[in-house]
Amino acid sequence: MKLTLKIWRQENAKTKGKLVTYKLSDLSSDMSFLEMLDVLNEQLAVKGEPAVEFDHDCREGICGQCSLVINGQAHGPESHYTTCQTHLRSFKDGDTLIIEPFRANSFPVIRDLKVDRSSMDKIIQAGGYISSFTGMAPEANAIPIHHDIAESAFDSAACIGCGACVATCKNSSAALFVSAKVAHLAKLPQGKIERSERVLWMVNAHDEEGFGSCTNTGACAMVCPQEVQLLDIARMNYEYNRAKCISK
Amino acid sequence: MAIKKGLFKTSVGRKNLMAVTGLFIIFFLIIHLVGNLILIIPNSFFPIEFWGGVANTHDMYNAYSHFLVHFWPVTLVAWVLYVAIITHIIDATLITINNWRSRGDKYIVTDNSTSTWYSRNMGILGTIIGVFLVIHMAQFWLQYKVLKVEHDLYELVIVTLKTWWFVLIYEIGIIALGFHLVHGIESAHRSLGIYPKKLMNVIKYVALCFSLVMAILYAIIPIIIYFK
Repeated sequence: MKLTLKIWRQENAKTKGKLVTYKLSDLSSDMSFLEMLDVLNEQLAVKGEPAVEFDHDCREGICGQCSLVINGQAHGPESHYTTCQTHLRSFKDGDTLIIEPFRANSFPVIRDLKVDRSSMDKIIQAGGYISSFTGMAPEANAIPIHHDIAESAFDSAACIGCGACVATCKNSSAALFVSAKVAHLAKLPQGKIERSERVLWMVNAHDEEGFGSCTNTGACAMVCPQEVQLLDIARMNYEYNRAKCISK
Repeated sequence: MAIKKGLFKTSVGRKNLMAVTGLFIIFFLIIHLVGNLILIIPNSFFPIEFWGGVANTHDMYNAYSHFLVHFWPVTLVAWVLYVAIITHIIDATLITINNWRSRGDKYIVTDNSTSTWYSRNMGILGTIIGVFLVIHMAQFWLQYKVLKVEHDLYELVIVTLKTWWFVLIYEIGIIALGFHLVHGIESAHRSLGIYPKKLMNVIKYVALCFSLVMAILYAIIPIIIYFK
């Protein structure tokens, strides 16, 4: 199949970027989107032009490294997918695709389609953990947890921190990302001990890193590859209010 | 890292304030609607004189508005309402400015299929309601309650709503209000964290039905008066 790619090229965060058009032919519809970019980069290398830089790692939807906004949709046209799992069969032969980086003030462009998402790491560092002594792994059944609660906590823990929620949100809010971690740990007995401090620290870090307020449009949950639910945002808000009003 | 102390200072806190003030304004909207509905009660509803000489819609409406202005607990609630409305507007402006700052460069292509247009444009809907509110208050509240130049509020309402473009302004304001409410009610519950999984759909449908009923009832009153 043939595709026309209009790709955002930008030297670094301080320079202005622009769309550059590339035409690719002889593509297989079974190729993944990132393989298609590999093909483009091989052709650019032969011509002696700089490669299009983009983030990727596991290429199986686990690591959350791949980003990209394809025709205005974070991670491409399929719902709840990562870019690496998006295949060319999702597009039509002859399509023109506009490929942009994730855009948010907290995600400065490093180069081309690569953005710096370390602001999300700082939120996790602020409270996305439990404090415990290191040593031998404890007996798994020492603390009984109801199956439903374990499942629900796991649904929240599934967040891979890709940042698609931020990229899609009109306010560049990371509420879904923060809430997934807050909800995950607040549901489990191990996380309950620090639940009040955690939510305050993480919401504070979220604001310090320059993310916006959640206005509950729900766009984030529609693109989340791990299907983290909006209910987690409600849970985070509950935890925040509980921490502010009830806790010491 | 220093934690911001105030309950309303963080991104979550500011949304809490929006939710609390918004829900209070909704409570007022219900009371206001009850008053408005008096306007469309037919005179035949008053077969005999009762309530100290109230014999028709005219008297009933004026008695009701007189009661509101002269009963001190209502005045007290009214002041809370003014504060709530102003807080709601200021807080919305602060949130919007902060959200604009958080956004990076604009996308060349935007796909909006992942959310409803009214949830994305609460600011625009709110601005329409705000403009409507200024016109509405200048017409009635200012004349009747502040300047006290008009004593027959029923007459003032009827005369005003006989002008077609005033009716149009009212309808536009009410449509904006309806959409603002649909998203606002659900969003407020989520912002406050009062959004349990079991009641998720209940809140969603109650918000939709409530907004629809409010908008329809508010909207039919000026139309009925215009064609009466």
